[in-house]
Amino acid sequence: MNNKGYLKEMIRKKILLLGDFSVGKTSLVRRYVDGAFDDKYLTTIGVKIAKKYFEVAGVEYEMIIWDVEGSTPSKKIALGYYKGASGAICVADSSREETIKGLERHKEIFLLENPKGKIVTAYNKIDLLDEASKAKILLDENTFLTSAKDDDCVEEVFLQLMRQMVV
Amino acid sequence: MKDIQAILNIVFKKDLFEYVQIDKDFNVVNTSSNICKYVEDIPQRGLPVFDYFPELVGIEEEMHNLFIHTEETYSLESVCKKAYYVNMTIDYYDENNLFILLHDITSMTVSSQKILQYSNESILVNNRLQKILNSQNALLFCTYENDILYSNAQFEDYFCTDIMIDYDIKKLNIYQYVDVPLDDYNSLFDYVSTKEEYIYINEDTFILQATSINHSHKLFTLTKVTKLTDKMHIDLLTGAYNKSYFDMRLKRMMQEEGDFVVVVLDFDNFKMINDSYGHQVGDSVLKECSSLIKDNMRKEDIFARWGGEEFLLLLEYQNMSDIMGKIERVREIIAKHTFASIERLTVSFGVSARQEEDDIDTLLKRADEALYEAKESGKNKVIFKK
Repeated sequence: MNNKGYLKEMIRKKILLLGDFSVGKTSLVRRYVDGAFDDKYLTTIGVKIAKKYFEVAGVEYEMIIWDVEGSTPSKKIALGYYKGASGAICVADSSREETIKGLERHKEIFLLENPKGKIVTAYNKIDLLDEASKAKILLDENTFLTSAKDDDCVEEVFLQLMRQMVV
Repeated sequence: MKDIQAILNIVFKKDLFEYVQIDKDFNVVNTSSNICKYVEDIPQRGLPVFDYFPELVGIEEEMHNLFIHTEETYSLESVCKKAYYVNMTIDYYDENNLFILLHDITSMTVSSQKILQYSNESILVNNRLQKILNSQNALLFCTYENDILYSNAQFEDYFCTDIMIDYDIKKLNIYQYVDVPLDDYNSLFDYVSTKEEYIYINEDTFILQATSINHSHKLFTLTKVTKLTDKMHIDLLTGAYNKSYFDMRLKRMMQEEGDFVVVVLDFDNFKMINDSYGHQVGDSVLKECSSLIKDNMRKEDIFARWGGEEFLLLLEYQNMSDIMGKIERVREIIAKHTFASIERLTVSFGVSARQEEDDIDTLLKRADEALYEAKESGKNKVIFKK
């Protein structure tokens, strides 16, 4: 045991939150790690790390969550941020079409740097959509409709990514 | 080690640099005294550096390589540590140690963040405005030099996106849809700036309005009112168009090239039907006969009620004998039809074809005269007056 009270041989996994700016990456992390939400938009610059501990099949894991600043084709993030990541949550603002279109770009860059990396997708801010618009989004086991505001499916996204990574 | 940090801090005249020394197993060997400003707990010698700097998880291989390629460095930029932003640079120190230098870039990062925040917020506001504009009516924004500056999504949906790609004003002649001949957007603006104008594009009806903006630009708004105007233009009893709609279409066709005929038709002995069977039956006959005529017309033909039992047709043609044959067939169909409440009904037709010298009045007058002739000569006839 180390001085933090957990096993020293705990497995650490680095995951990234990727997406255009203002899609709610920081809010998802905040909701998942702190259980809190603030709808004031504050641009993330660089990277901010958060941690979450969990256990799968008797093994303890430390999830190192990289909340990376939003990127667009004209403003790319440093490739160094992608290094050594086991997984990524690609986030779109479900009410902004251009951020949904950007998802493929984020996935592509991530897989280029981490070919074995796992990806789940979060269509965030689902609280802003009506039922008809929600129904148009194609879902699968790795795609979620999330709302950091309403705490909708936030934990599920992180857990699904972890399940993928530790299999 | 402290010397390096001290030298750097002296050079920059601020406490901008802290360090962590780690061994080959990535355990903490030593730190600068102020390192706790970036981490929650004071790093303990012998514990994994990842406990304090989880940013280094995933780059173990890169750090290991620094012992081999000793001239290389590994950097991570703009990492948020507590209330600070740092650039982390990992260097080879000696055969057993790596040296992690943390450069405090908080002040410059906060400035960058303010700029980025402003920029991102501006883009978001712009996107929202764009959404609002796109949810409105079709909008076209021009200069007084007739250049199109902007069109919203609704406009592009209606008026061919492919044309709009190069904003070719010569092809995008909205002003040509107005009933009077206009040459450009300036003349269109003069024409509609004081009133609303209905324009018809394909199957749709729009209200066109123009607004001047700062005396340098013109905003044209096209409001689609197809369903509304369709109802406005329809005679409720018969489902035929009303006379005002017929007049409008006739006026437009008079301005265009192309051959067409005007037909005035009148139900024979209709007063007798009303007198014998009552007005309710009269109405049902009007309705049934109108439906019969409409069913035998082409989509582009205009069938309108002039009033009472008198109706109008506006028919374009390529070949005069074909169109006369068509009118004759309609007459026959009606004459042979068994109506629900009366057995038989006949209709007389007066036809005139548009001539170069014609105006609306002369054209209608000739068709009316032809109808009179049909009635006078025994009814249930089609008479053509060129």
